[in-house]
Order: sequence, then C-alpha cells, then structure tokens
Amino acid sequence: MHVTEAVTTQRARRASPWSQHPLAGPLLGVAGIVLFLLIWEAATRTGLVNPKFFPPATVVLAQLGQDLVSADFWASVGLTMRSWLIGLLSAGIAATALGFIIGSSTFLRRITHSTIEFLRPIPSVALIPLAVLLFGIKMESSLMLIIYASFWQILIQVLYGTADVDSVAMDTAKSYGLGWWARIRYVVWPTTLPYLITGLRLAAAVALILAITAELVIGAPGLGKEIALNQSGGSVVPMYSLVVATGLIGVAINIGMRLLEKRVLRWHSSQRGDVIV
Amino acid sequence: MKSKLLVALAAGSALALTACSGGSAPTAPSEDGELTPVTVAVIPIADTAALWLGVDQGFFEDEGLDVTIDTAGGGAAIVPGVVSGDYDFGFSNYISLYVANDKGLDLQVVANGVTAGEDAAKDFGGVVVLDDSDVKTPADLAGKTVSVNTLANIGDTTIRSIVAEDGGDAEAVDFVEIGFPDAPAALENGQIDAAWIVEPFLTQAVAAGARVVTYNFSGFDPELDVSGYFTSGAKATAEPEVVEAFQRAMNISLEFANENADEVRAILASYTTITPEVIEKIALPRFRAAIDADAAKKLAEAAVKYSGLSKMPNLDEILP
Repeated sequence: MHVTEAVTTQRARRASPWSQHPLAGPLLGVAGIVLFLLIWEAATRTGLVNPKFFPPATVVLAQLGQDLVSADFWASVGLTMRSWLIGLLSAGIAATALGFIIGSSTFLRRITHSTIEFLRPIPSVALIPLAVLLFGIKMESSLMLIIYASFWQILIQVLYGTADVDSVAMDTAKSYGLGWWARIRYVVWPTTLPYLITGLRLAAAVALILAITAELVIGAPGLGKEIALNQSGGSVVPMYSLVVATGLIGVAINIGMRLLEKRVLRWHSSQRGDVIV
Repeated sequence: MKSKLLVALAAGSALALTACSGGSAPTAPSEDGELTPVTVAVIPIADTAALWLGVDQGFFEDEGLDVTIDTAGGGAAIVPGVVSGDYDFGFSNYISLYVANDKGLDLQVVANGVTAGEDAAKDFGGVVVLDDSDVKTPADLAGKTVSVNTLANIGDTTIRSIVAEDGGDAEAVDFVEIGFPDAPAALENGQIDAAWIVEPFLTQAVAAGARVVTYNFSGFDPELDVSGYFTSGAKATAEPEVVEAFQRAMNISLEFANENADEVRAILASYTTITPEVIEKIALPRFRAAIDADAAKKLAEAAVKYSGLSKMPNLDEILP
C-alpha cells in the first residue's frame, strides 16, 4: 500500500500537470494519428515516395470515404468478417474443450506436449497449398487457415490456465465432495477464464490476418481479394484505401475484445484497479 | 461493379450446388434439356476476357453449359483446384502446364486462351527499361537484372531465347521475381535494370516514360500462343461430352472476342478494376481458336532449355 502510494506520488511529481487531464490519453492518441497522416502526406507530396505507387493520405482517405458508402465494399467486409467470426468461434470452442480435457490430466498433458509444440509453430500460410487442394478458392480455405492459426493461440492459453489452478482450492473442493463437473465449473473455469480471454484476444487479431492473407493469396472472397483485384488492375488508390480499411477493422476488433474482456472479467483483480490483492 | 457482387453470389451458390450435386443436375432447362453446371478457375486479367465475354453472350448456354467463373489470386491456386476436381477447367500459360505435366500431373489443354498480339509494335507483354538506360537491344540485357513475375516460366524463357537470338549471352541475364504490379516501382527505384510486365502495367509504364526493349511474346514468335484453358486428364476421360461442349463454346467465344475488340474492352470493366481511361489504351492479345503447332514446339524446346523441364513434353497428348 505504502509502496504503491510512493510510486504514484513520485510519478505525479515528475509528470507535467496537463498529462493528468482525463482527456490526455485519447487526445495524445489522436495527435499520434494526425502526425502519422501528416508524415505520410508530406512524404508523398515532396516526392520522397513516388505518389504514383503510394498515393498521398488525403487521396486514399477520400477514396475510403467513397468506399464507406458503397454496397460492394460492405459486401466484401461482410464476407471477411463472416470467415473471421466462424473461424474464431470454431477455434475457440474446439481449443477450450480440448484444453480442459488435456489440462485435467497430467498423463494427457505429457503425452500431447511434444505434438502440440511441433504443430503449433507451423505457419498457417504454409498450409495454403493444402487448403486449395482440399477446398478450392472458397471460404472453406480461409477457414482452414484461420482455425489452424487461432486454435493454438487459445489452446496454449487454456492449458496454462488449467495448470494455474490453486492446488489448495482444488483439494478443498475435493474434500467438500464437489464432483468432477462442479470442480470444473467452480474452481478450474474461474482460474482459466482470464487466460482464455487473453487467448481469444490474441487469436482475434491472428484470425483477421489469416482471413485477409487467404483472400489475398488464394482469392477466397472478401476484402483481401478486392485488394488483390485492385493490385492486378493497377488501381493503386482503391487498393490502399482497402488496406487502410483492414487496419481499421483490426482496431475495431481489438477495441471489441477489450470491452469483452472488461465485461467478462469484471470480477477479476486485473480489471479492478481499486483493490490491491 | 455490380458483377463483383454477382461473382461473390455465384461462388456462394456454387457451394450450395456442390452440396446437393448427388442427384440429378439442377438449374434452368434449355431447349434440349437441362444445363450442365461447370466451374472455371481463372485469373481476373485481360487475358481471360474471351471466357467472360462468351458467358455473357450465352455461347456456353447454347452448348448446354451453365458456367460459374471463380477468380483465383494467382495461377498457383488454379492447378491444384483443377487436379483435385474442385474446378472443371482452369486458365494457365502453356509453360506452367508443361511443367505440371513434367512433374506427373495429367493436365490437358482444351482450348487456346491468348496469342501474341497482331501488331508486333504494340503487344500486351514486354520488357521495359528507363528511358535513359544503356540497354538498347535485347542482347544488352546480358549481365542486367530483369524482373519476371515467376522464375523458370514463360517470362524468363521467352526473354532468354530472344537475347540468344539477338546474339547476347542468354545465361548471363539475371532474373529476379517481382510481381507485375510492383515491377514498375522497382524499375524506377533502380532495384532492377529492366522489368517484364504485361497490360495494364505496360501501357502505364510507357506513358510514364519507360522504353520497351522487346515485346517478348511476338518477339519470340509472332504466332506464339501464350496461355490456354485446361482440364484434368481424369475429367477428359470421365466426361468427354462436357469437355467437348466447353471446347466448342470456348472456340466460338475466342473468335467473337477477336472480332469485337470493343466488347472485350467493355467486359474488362466488369471484372477488373482497370480504370476506363486505361482500358481504352491497353494492347489486347489476339484471341484465336487454332494453336500454332510450330510456335508451340519452339516454346516447349525453349522451356526444356531454360525452364528446367526434364524432357520435351508430348505436345500431341497435351494440346487439343
């Protein structure tokens, strides 16, 4: 308690007063984006980067503004987000179920360890030829890559979570006569949930990357395919506008996952700054 | 623009079709019965215009085919899709097909795709350099770095042959792999000495001041057929009547495309994102049904020499 107080006062003394303002964080964030856009604009306007190949920010953002009111654009976004959601949910359900089963037994944990460590680092993109062979140029190819990549992110977190269960709590639950299901529900699940949510947040970003990659490389329908189409048509401005759009989707996904984390884990110490554990 | 949505929808309905394709063939009836659904995997570039145009004109329906076109990101996704039977037909350049056959895949050409342009002074593919480059003739490319979209394929094979014919050292050309869209930027930045590009990038590069050293398709052979539509050997054996119907419709489409350049340019706007101003200017390939046997033999021989084919492909078996 004392230490925390000391650190806070020290910080407060060192920091300039305006950074204490509640709006300072968001304002600095916006300033950062504006600065980035200015550098982009300046680099292309001065000819440091050839605007023919990398158009100025204002031109790209104007195109993005047009995209935002186009039905074709939203149809592509919908296709990408559909692959993303189906992929992430399937991976989440499979990884959680398997993680709890493997995590509940030392034997299973040991026998699967080396296999998991072997399969996990295989980059999903290396499976593109296999995906095309199995599913062709369709959403299923995207799904295969998305599920493979996000599955391991979540599984590893769930395994860490199940390993983190307090043995005293577990023994207490056992001696109070809690059955297997009750122990999972009241002891393992609350311990694992923060890990699972972290895994989901990591997987959500990975799933978007893989969704776009599959569309770009294979040609599965979605935003990535539109990027590739614009690229092969030599339409540079629409291409970069779509690239910016994918970035914005990434930001939106991250904000969404943060909100989800806050809501699901509102009881957890990590989300309750006022309580020192 | 609307057609993008249509393609997406078509892809979706193709899924639904495969899901229920166990029974009798679905879809609308034509005068002599029901249409047979076939899928074709292509790259969304100007070269495949004849197919899109043919479908649009109803030539395939006349032959009893209900064609669904799926666009792939690149040729690499097409061959596996056709081999595995996900697609009935695919589009590829001939060297890729020779390489696939050389590696043991049984692929057969059913129709020609595109041929070197009629006008030897403005073809749809060429090697460009910056205007102040000291490369004046193809032979000067020896010792230079030249970009192609895929190594050991039709680009470097035809360019090496032209360099050799021009009296240069073909083996001394240093090829690097850079995609067509990125090659003009790499050329301007000085990362490469010359770039092999096709339309629409060729027209754009020339407009920006680049100089064409050689049009490598018509320069290799004025009658060179560059790419074609193919199917798997298994498909050709199992459903010969479907393959023949596709072949007939495709050949009609090719002739129609060759006689109606305006229609070709119009259909380009529907499935590519090339801007209308550029579409007006780009060089179109020749679309024709007949494959020139001599040029095909010459290309296959060059492929053995420069693309790493283990032996001369059996053209009688591969070509229609």
